[in-house]
Amino acid sequence: MRDMPKQITLEEWDLRYEQLKKAGKYQPAYGGPLGRHVEDGDQRLLRLRYDNSAAALRLWNFLLTEEDRLHESRMAGRKIVGTMKDLGTVPVMAYCFENIVAFYPDGAWWIPCVMELGAGLLQIADSLGIDESFCPVRAMLGAFVTGAHFPIPDLLICSVGATCDDFSAIAQRLNGLGHPILWWEIPHRRNPESNETGVNLPGGYSAPKCQVKFVKSQLHGIKTALEDLAGEKLDEQKLFTGIQKANQVRRLLAELRQLAFTAERCPIPALEMLIAEMLAIHFCSNRQETINVLKELLDEVKSRVRDCKGILNVDAARIFWINPVADLQVMNLLEDCGGRICGTEYLFTHALDEIPEDLPPLEALARMALADPMVGSSIDRAQRICHDIRLFGAEAVLISRIPGASHCALEGRVISEIVRDKFDIPVLEIEVPPVTDSMRPTVRTRLEALVETVRASRNKKRI
Amino acid sequence: MICAGIDAGSRAIKIILIDTVNMQVIAKGLTDQGVEQDRLASGLFKKVLKKHGINKKDVAVIVATGYGRNAVSIADTTVTEITCHAVGVHNLLPDTMTVIDIGGQDSKLLRLDTAGKVRDFAMNDRCAAGTGRFLEVVAERLGVELEGLGELAANSTNPAAISSMCVVFAETEITGLLASGTAREDIVAGVQASIAARIISMAGRNAEPPVIFTGGVAMVSGMAQSMQAALGQNVTVCPDPQMTGALGAAILASKRLKKANT
Repeated sequence: MRDMPKQITLEEWDLRYEQLKKAGKYQPAYGGPLGRHVEDGDQRLLRLRYDNSAAALRLWNFLLTEEDRLHESRMAGRKIVGTMKDLGTVPVMAYCFENIVAFYPDGAWWIPCVMELGAGLLQIADSLGIDESFCPVRAMLGAFVTGAHFPIPDLLICSVGATCDDFSAIAQRLNGLGHPILWWEIPHRRNPESNETGVNLPGGYSAPKCQVKFVKSQLHGIKTALEDLAGEKLDEQKLFTGIQKANQVRRLLAELRQLAFTAERCPIPALEMLIAEMLAIHFCSNRQETINVLKELLDEVKSRVRDCKGILNVDAARIFWINPVADLQVMNLLEDCGGRICGTEYLFTHALDEIPEDLPPLEALARMALADPMVGSSIDRAQRICHDIRLFGAEAVLISRIPGASHCALEGRVISEIVRDKFDIPVLEIEVPPVTDSMRPTVRTRLEALVETVRASRNKKRI
Repeated sequence: MICAGIDAGSRAIKIILIDTVNMQVIAKGLTDQGVEQDRLASGLFKKVLKKHGINKKDVAVIVATGYGRNAVSIADTTVTEITCHAVGVHNLLPDTMTVIDIGGQDSKLLRLDTAGKVRDFAMNDRCAAGTGRFLEVVAERLGVELEGLGELAANSTNPAAISSMCVVFAETEITGLLASGTAREDIVAGVQASIAARIISMAGRNAEPPVIFTGGVAMVSGMAQSMQAALGQNVTVCPDPQMTGALGAAILASKRLKKANT
């Protein structure tokens, strides 16, 4: 049952859900009307606009039932691993075990937005000395204290070293609250010296062989810890199969991104694309279902592109978006202002690039971990962004700063200058807190002005 | 025909009417902003029309801009203040390559191309540092009129170092400076220098001359000099700086009218 693509409200979705149900549309076990999630306190959902496809409904329901899935896993006796900060490495290993489910406690940073601060997680973090001068991911602390969201993991794994200072502080505070953490170190990625052997990494980066060897040793420690937890050995074949599955997700996303960012008419909203990309990090606690959800979404997008249908006018300004937003509503706002997403860099491009399958599995994972944009220099990151700007044909760049986040405090300036030098296109920085309601007019002005600037530039080119 | 631009800023509402035949300004008006933004804008519009004997039906297109632009119900359309300031300044000073605009609530830096189109822009963060509000707080704390700040600063021999960029913290610093006997003129000069530094940090390497200073704060004497010192190049205050946004809006209204007629 396909209607013209458009963005609809939650209320409209619930009406449409009934139509889909009557038409016999397949519903996974976690399916149902989107409106039911508001009863759990997810008030922000009432203010968002959603893609009207059945594929998008499935995507949203998959995302919004993750906590249920984790609790069910606990009930079923499966082991739960919280993988923190690495954004895409450890989950690939964890999902190789039949009885382990991995998730990303850092994802709690969206709870203050989705529950419009109703859960009080930030206040709990405040009371623990982690105040608003830290990244909103501090909400994770509150989630651990209340236990009202995800189950407390059987094993917590966190990367440190060349990750952001905020997160290290938050994770250390968590450790101090009595949650033991298995720390693993990721060094700051650097180019090989002339006397060192270099290794190519996914994403076009390189690093000295000794760094890869070190990360491999760290991952070996994690592998042992996971084996102990699972009571099962992880041989090379199992790990290789896990990498293949992760790559299946990554290939689906690569195709989705290519279509979404380059189609003449934008086939899918920015918000749904953000959620879809996030699935790459930890598979939303079900790797196989991640593949199913993405396949359906990709089919929908392919069909729209084939029929030249989309959700926005063809003249929408093509914006490359950098960093994820704490308030999901801002993704809708971009479209309200006449923009569309044309390329993204949400700080986990290494989780989108394919993991090499022609290398020993741990070596491949180590190389992938070192390709994390957060562990290299801002210049490296900017160059990758420039590559993708060219690939997707973006007309402007928007850098969404995360309040308090140390990893992007100065990166914006570096990225802006490199992008300007290379393309002479406008670059705008905005700051997006978890709930933007009071600053919506000022954010709107900035986004509208960016779109006006792009359009003026097009008119000039026509002249 | 006549076209109108309404700049509903955070501190004042400005209106300019232009004759679309010769593109001359035929009327203008200004009033303080308030809670009832729409009523205030409509009221000012009527007042300007009445004062200049213009009939409302002769105003073909109205473009609203500024912070409160979406609240102006008499407007046919809205355009952001970034675009409007660029158009307004380019109309008055066509060689302009960089515009610094400091209003009551925000500050911006625009890079223009030779045709006056915005190539790129930067705006201040959500705090009031580097805005007119900062100066208002300082004037209030020092017990002087806003207009008198420049005169005071001109007498400074040793500008105070204001380390905080936050209005609230800066007020605390000013209290401390006053308590330690720092002269008011040195405090004002220090505040103006800190605002200028804030703007310049937005500019990065992008302040190509000529640099034009506009917005309400450009009228505060001493600010242009502080900006000039921080930037290390000439900064020219735009004629009638508070009205450039409204002028740009009126010009864009006229373009819209011409487009509709062709």
